[in-house]
Amino acid sequence: MTDLDLVWKNLFRKPLRTILLTVSIFMAFLIFGILTSLNVALDRASESGSASNRLVVSNKINFTQSMPYAYINRVAAIPGVTAVTYQNWFGAYYQDQRTSRFVGFAVDPETYMAIFRDEARLTDAERQAFLTERTGVIVGKSLADRYGWKVGQTIPISSNIYSQANGRRSWDMKISGIFTGAKPTDPTTAIYFHYDYMNETITFGRDQVGTITVVTASPDQNDQVAKAIDANFANSPAETSTVDEKTFSRAFLKQAGDLNFIVTMVVSAAFAAILMIVSTTLVSAMRERTKEIGVMKTLGFSSPRVLRMVLGEAVLLSSLGAVLGLGTSAFILTGLSKSPVGSNFGDLSMSPVVALSGLALAVSLGLVTGAVPALSALRMSIIEALNRG
Amino acid sequence: MSLLNQTGSVIAMNVRSIPQRLWMSLATVGSIALVVAVLLGFLALANGFNQTLKGSGAPDVAITLRDGAASELNSVVSREQIDLLGQGPGVRAGPDGRPLISAELVLIVDGIKKSTGTKANMPLRGIGPNGLLVRPQAKITQGRMFTPGSNEIVVGAGLLREFSGFELGKTLRFGAQTWKVVGVFEAPGTVFESELWADAPVIQSLFKRGSTFQTARIGLTSPAAMPAFVKYVKDEQRLQLKAQSEQTYFADQAERSGLLIKYFGWPLGIIMAIGALAGALNTMYASVSSRAAEIATLRVIGFSGFSAFIGTMVEALVLSALGALVGVAICALGFNGLSASTLGAGFTQVAFRLQIGPDIITQAVTLALIIGLIGGIFPGLRASRQRPLLALAT
Repeated sequence: MTDLDLVWKNLFRKPLRTILLTVSIFMAFLIFGILTSLNVALDRASESGSASNRLVVSNKINFTQSMPYAYINRVAAIPGVTAVTYQNWFGAYYQDQRTSRFVGFAVDPETYMAIFRDEARLTDAERQAFLTERTGVIVGKSLADRYGWKVGQTIPISSNIYSQANGRRSWDMKISGIFTGAKPTDPTTAIYFHYDYMNETITFGRDQVGTITVVTASPDQNDQVAKAIDANFANSPAETSTVDEKTFSRAFLKQAGDLNFIVTMVVSAAFAAILMIVSTTLVSAMRERTKEIGVMKTLGFSSPRVLRMVLGEAVLLSSLGAVLGLGTSAFILTGLSKSPVGSNFGDLSMSPVVALSGLALAVSLGLVTGAVPALSALRMSIIEALNRG
Repeated sequence: MSLLNQTGSVIAMNVRSIPQRLWMSLATVGSIALVVAVLLGFLALANGFNQTLKGSGAPDVAITLRDGAASELNSVVSREQIDLLGQGPGVRAGPDGRPLISAELVLIVDGIKKSTGTKANMPLRGIGPNGLLVRPQAKITQGRMFTPGSNEIVVGAGLLREFSGFELGKTLRFGAQTWKVVGVFEAPGTVFESELWADAPVIQSLFKRGSTFQTARIGLTSPAAMPAFVKYVKDEQRLQLKAQSEQTYFADQAERSGLLIKYFGWPLGIIMAIGALAGALNTMYASVSSRAAEIATLRVIGFSGFSAFIGTMVEALVLSALGALVGVAICALGFNGLSASTLGAGFTQVAFRLQIGPDIITQAVTLALIIGLIGGIFPGLRASRQRPLLALAT
């Protein structure tokens, strides 16, 4: 019989107790697995589709304020800028304003597709169709799946901001293509259509652009180019604020609240709870075994060996709960990714980093909870142990 | 000895023996306290946000938006429409004898969120003299109100708490113009406290809005006048607006924030509760097995199995009630009144305070007692079924 067998036997000496402890640990790691992965996905969402040499120019007052159309050419003329495109938020929805809103931008097809070629993948035929059809729209695959849209179909897209001169609030758009993301897991819940089509038909806000995307010659020049752009428009009625794409989207996501903070608090609370439960239960479990430890020491088990066995039992217990908890959360996350709410986050599946840090956490949890009983087992003299219990 | 007396003395014995299993019992209390604190934290967050929205709407003030606009930001209302609104039924007269209508426009400017250091959307609202009359809760507490016709701003106390960039006396730049913050107003428990206010005509001219507004708030003679006014707006073909009571408008927005509790608070609370339940069951089984000899002795001298069951049950409930108490205390001292902010339905930040109320405390405490109940039933059954002689023999 090896030490491991002995540890295993000890662990299941009272099966109910071990199962209950495993359930506690399982729940904590379930919370850890799901919340941390959600957090990672959100962080990644702010970075997905952001290239290091792309900048976003928006109105300095706030990004919902527009800028004159003429800014596009002025930005393009600034040294270090290699490409420029622009987009207008449309407040798009399909049929029902409350339940089917999605991201919709009016863009300049040619420059947009050149810069975002990887983020919105289309076939050459689809790309060509989008360029030539004035009322063309490209839709993300997730949206197309959700509403059953097909290429060539004409769909009414409404805006909760703009209206047409003829009083209509929806625009008929012909689907030129259905795009997929750079990775199959990237969120594709947006539509893009011709800026000109919108600009010619809206009743207000003509010749204004929402944000301008700038590609710089290299990421090293980002700061310099950003400063040059903002300086160019200083003291004008529409001053600009230029930041890199990642900073822009991160600031936007942070508006909802500090999710990092909430996740840290909840995960710590869950772990504090099981730490208390597991360590006190193990202490009392060891106390029941005092006599046995005395016998083992009498038989020649060295104190360090006893220590290792007690610690091993605690680590085995916490790893058991952790593996089950992490496994279950990975399973739940996969399901969540496929749900309509989850698909907005893109890839929710558990990353190796989360899984590994979970396992590391399990080992440290085992060591911490096993520490007190292990130390008391180590210090215990044979006489004392055999007398007690 | 009657059953009642038996049960009473067994309960006393159980509860008095808790200190013998001090650490395990404390762990149970502590873990239940954490479950209660986490759940209550989420509920207080949602509750505070909801209360702020609900507290903002008056039943006798109608708000009109362009038909189809979901928020003020997407709405447009013209001068002519506002004049027509004034002819509606039940409109109260202002101090000047004219209809009490506040024509307003809202645009978004950047502030810096203190907790994250990142940019956030602040609503800059242009109001006229009637703006304060339709919001009787709002009072200038520092500095003074803006002077009509000038580039002056007053800032809400909630906004100041959560965001930087708009301190009293500060000069701001929006585009080519400079503005000065001349006052701070308080409107406790409303979304208005998260806003910046300035003179509507100044905003119209400096932000090139012509003579258009985005919303109109109309003071009515009483809440009872609301249906007639709403119907008037609906039927008047020249308006193409939608009127509703301010109360309904904000209540609708509050409804949507329920998602936070639905998708986060309760699932987390329940998962943690199951974890804590497993701990409680362990503690109670340990309690039963450590008192095996005692229970057996009682059975031999004529105590019923039922009293053993109830004794264990009450011990579990006492532990969970203690845990609930500690959890509520953690929340009341640590979270209650804590300031927070999030993006509201108007695409701008809403500052609010976490708020614990009797109904959400009841919900959290109920969860704790359910843990205690289930944590007591099974060990209690084991205690009541214990075979007396067998237990004494070992």
